[in-house]
Amino acid sequence: MQTFFIVAILLLGFLITFQIAKASEYVAVLRGEEKAKKQTNRVNAFMLLCFLILGLIGVYYCNERLKGKILGEAASNHGVLIDRMLYITIGVTFFVFVITQVALFWFAYKYQQSDTRKAYYYPHNNKLEVIWTVIPAIALTVLVGFGIFYWFKITGTAPKGAMEVEVTGSQFKWEFRYPGNDKTFGKKYYKNITGDNPLGQVWDDPYGHDDIYVTGEPMHLVVNKPVRLIIGSKDVIHDVGLAEFRMKMDAVPGTPTTMWFTPTKTTADKIKETGKADFVYEISCDQMCGRGHTGMRGEIIVETQEEFDAWITKKSPKYIDALKAAAAQKADSTKPVTTVSVSGVK
Amino acid sequence: MSDTIHIQPGSVAHEAAHDEHHHGHHEQSFITKYVFSQDHKTIGKQFLVTGIIWAVVGGLFSVLFRLQLGFPGQSFPILETFFGHWAKGGQIQPEFYYALITMHGTVLVFFVLTAGLSGTFANLLIPLQVGARDMASPFLNMLSYWFFFMASIVMISSLFISTGPAAGGWTVYPPLSALHDASEGSKLGMDLWIVAMALFVVSSLLGGLNYISTILNMRTKGMSMTRLPLTIWALFFTAVLGVLSFPVLLSGLILLLFDRNLGTSFYLSDIVVNGQTLPNEGGSAILFQHLFWFLGHPEVYIILLPAMGMVSEILSVNSRKPIFGYMAMLGSLFAICILAFLVWAHHMFVTGLNPFLGSVFVLLTLLIAVPSAIKVFNWLTTLWRGNIRLLPSTLFAIGFVSLFISGGLTGIFLGNSTIDIHLHDTMFVVAHFHIVMGVASMFGMFAGVYHWFPKMFGRYLNTTLGYIHFWVTLVGAYLIFWPMHYEGLAGMPRRYLDKSVWRSFSQFGDLDKMITVVSIIVFAVQLLFIFNFFYSIFKGRKVTSTNPWGANTLEWTTPVNPGHGNWVGEIPEVHRWAYDYGKDGREFIPQTEPIGANESKH
Amino acid sequence: MEAVMNQQQKRMHPHKFTLWVAIASILMMFAGLTSAFIVKSNLTGWRNIVMPDFFWFSTATILASSLTMQMALRSFRQRAMDQYRWLIGLTFVLGVTFIVLQWFGFKSLWDQNIKFNGSAGAGQFLYVIFGLHALHVVGGVIALLVIFLKAFFGKIKLYSSVPVEVAATYWHFVDILWVCLLVFFLAIG
Repeated sequence: MQTFFIVAILLLGFLITFQIAKASEYVAVLRGEEKAKKQTNRVNAFMLLCFLILGLIGVYYCNERLKGKILGEAASNHGVLIDRMLYITIGVTFFVFVITQVALFWFAYKYQQSDTRKAYYYPHNNKLEVIWTVIPAIALTVLVGFGIFYWFKITGTAPKGAMEVEVTGSQFKWEFRYPGNDKTFGKKYYKNITGDNPLGQVWDDPYGHDDIYVTGEPMHLVVNKPVRLIIGSKDVIHDVGLAEFRMKMDAVPGTPTTMWFTPTKTTADKIKETGKADFVYEISCDQMCGRGHTGMRGEIIVETQEEFDAWITKKSPKYIDALKAAAAQKADSTKPVTTVSVSGVK
Repeated sequence: MSDTIHIQPGSVAHEAAHDEHHHGHHEQSFITKYVFSQDHKTIGKQFLVTGIIWAVVGGLFSVLFRLQLGFPGQSFPILETFFGHWAKGGQIQPEFYYALITMHGTVLVFFVLTAGLSGTFANLLIPLQVGARDMASPFLNMLSYWFFFMASIVMISSLFISTGPAAGGWTVYPPLSALHDASEGSKLGMDLWIVAMALFVVSSLLGGLNYISTILNMRTKGMSMTRLPLTIWALFFTAVLGVLSFPVLLSGLILLLFDRNLGTSFYLSDIVVNGQTLPNEGGSAILFQHLFWFLGHPEVYIILLPAMGMVSEILSVNSRKPIFGYMAMLGSLFAICILAFLVWAHHMFVTGLNPFLGSVFVLLTLLIAVPSAIKVFNWLTTLWRGNIRLLPSTLFAIGFVSLFISGGLTGIFLGNSTIDIHLHDTMFVVAHFHIVMGVASMFGMFAGVYHWFPKMFGRYLNTTLGYIHFWVTLVGAYLIFWPMHYEGLAGMPRRYLDKSVWRSFSQFGDLDKMITVVSIIVFAVQLLFIFNFFYSIFKGRKVTSTNPWGANTLEWTTPVNPGHGNWVGEIPEVHRWAYDYGKDGREFIPQTEPIGANESKH
Repeated sequence: MEAVMNQQQKRMHPHKFTLWVAIASILMMFAGLTSAFIVKSNLTGWRNIVMPDFFWFSTATILASSLTMQMALRSFRQRAMDQYRWLIGLTFVLGVTFIVLQWFGFKSLWDQNIKFNGSAGAGQFLYVIFGLHALHVVGGVIALLVIFLKAFFGKIKLYSSVPVEVAATYWHFVDILWVCLLVFFLAIG
């Protein structure tokens, strides 16, 4: 019923607008077309000017309303660089934005049609054109210079001694792997992936025996310690999006990617800073991955080294779990024996 | 096919003359005149009307998913009535949501802003403005429309199958689009999408071939390349971009089709989907992105350039002043056209692209800002000291420039790989490309429709409705997309249908409501425009003079309702460029007027 | 009007020009595919193939057909219509032979157990690239058939050589394209 009313009101609005519009055409004919045209021209010129003024006020108002809702200070070293680049760009572009928009609407208002004015025949001026080729070119060179400088800093190799975490995306969850005490990940092969071996680790590889697998709980990182994420995917393309750290990298099946950064604020710091008791660093999937894309959420806890050590020592490597599971299965001899390194089920 | 029309000008002129008095001797049946017509003007109108129908469909989709974004969790029973299990309990289901955004993108980018925009105006304007009786090959031109029509049929049919249309985003990245098990939309819907797009590519190639050879080969006497109106130059570069980039998309889609249905490993590698381990190894999902964006980026300019060309023309005509810096405008079009091919990987900064390669693409991408800046400054100078008639077409052209500035500047953010790391795939991107490519090109298209409607149908659109249309759309566009940038600055990813589970992105609830309400209003006003369009075709005020806007270009030397062949008698000869407005104290001097003895040089 | 027409005749015929643009467009498609091939051939898990001999026979056939096509065009220009008819017929037959040979080529690859499914390799690309090329040849064969039928049954009133020239250019194009693709596969695959 409600929708019916809405449709009816819309239709009525349509009809009225249309009738007015049609009538205005007749009125214009009656009053003399030239006169009517001049009047609409004046009205629209005035409205363009109003649009400019109200628009600029709106831009200011919008910024006042929303600037508090974007994510405060960046929580990583790279994030600081990215924010700095962002503010430099905002500065440059906002200046250009205001000048050009004011010129556009002001000219449209100022030079509206009038009987007393004759358009000025002005087909070209090489000097002017050179000026406004060179100035943007210089401004952009500056921006490109800064941009590439920061870009190489951010995408450069991670410092030695950086902690490593492997992140694997799949529809629609995140899984993490820590390399364990040997600081080296064991090999994995996707055809080994089973319920007991969610990442498809190759058990023959001794490096993998102490690898710690984490899922369903936050990834833990150490504050002020560079971390290098090795990112992969099991099925479709996902993306590790870390808005608070300003970092992002696609997770592509078959082609591992990496990114590194140094978290600079612990979760506790952030709780204090934002005043939100439930603050948590989030991992968002930023590349469309199917029906559950919206909910493909992970969490990160940034903490001190001691807290981290306390957490990780409580974890037992997946290899041990797998051995136990295999042993349990062997004991139950009625079931068909499936070894842990079984290859893919097709 | 082989007897081209310009070989027998006599007979065509004869036909055109008959067209003048209705109900003369009908040499053409209804079918050949309106359906399988080879007249470029009719084909242009066919593209326009089909484009409008698609725009309604695509726009409606956006309204539906905006409902979800603005009011997540709220139930709209009417949706269930119409869409059944896609909107169970009156709530848009995730599959439905993703199908909607995918189709919205595909439809608007390809069917409306490529076919509907450049298809319409290239067909209508190229022969009329270069002084030709028709396209180089009217038959291929007709085929171009009918391929588009078939593409439309296939795409529409995909909406009605039980698993729904493609739902992997308009960029259809594999593996999501390649694995039947990864999503409902990757089942039959995706195959239909590929088939429809293949037909569409054929259509735009046939069209593009014709546009290029018509512009280069069939200009009337005296119409040297530097006397062409900027619309024609823009359409020319558009066609070049299309002809060289669409085939690459086609090759990418063919490989995708093989991967989907024949088990090849072009894009697939190391995949376990739904507990199933696939045998594919050695494929590269990123390869598709390269092939896709090699078209995808030029596609942005395929959409934008025609709008730029028409805006240049309309601003000049209605400022009663020559376009400022014709050669610079042309040079910047050319530069944009070249650069468009060299920047595709800026869509892929966070795919693990080699950082050095990334920096090259940053440089090339930001280079595009230079020709764009030249164009903007030249438009501003064109308005400066003009005598501006603020017709709806002019207003839309001014709106285009405003939006192009706003959206172009945010492009400087995204083209810079450093900032792109944070902003990639967020609502900032959505805001950016909707303003600069979506709405701006729409504005160019509206400007073109208001300006050339009298030429198309011999009648005027209702101007009051035109003004209402303009103001609501302009204000609405800014209200919708300006604040959206802030969502992106907060890192809110695009293609999320409900942010309530997120702590970092759930703070924009009120904003999303506002955007939804405004977008519904703007959509309603577009319907008003469409009503105006169809009403005016039949009932609009009749055009009484051949040159209602006092313009210089050749299309205004044809009769009010030109027949097939355009000119009665000879094709006029051209003596000057298209922009002699306000010269030597005369308001305008048509291109057909010989240079006077005492005329000043420009 | 006379002047306008004269000027237009000085330029290249629009249909021929259209063909050249179309050729550029087709080249872009194959450029897309071959560059994909190059990128992928550097990845792990790539499988190479041995080129079946049939592709050599088909190369000889299409080269011969280019020759007969050119001769047909010359006879048309010299108005030697009988000669033109059988030469165009011969070209048509050679074109069909080419496609049949390609089919045997694919079949012998298939029998070597190089199929669509499984991990990436040159074979998968070969089927796609040669297949698409064959489709373009089919297009040319159909055009030849039309011209051939016209030459026999149609009364050629207009002595315009444009359609034949367009067909000939296209035919040489698919010929050269074939040679390039074959060399490409031999060099990289």
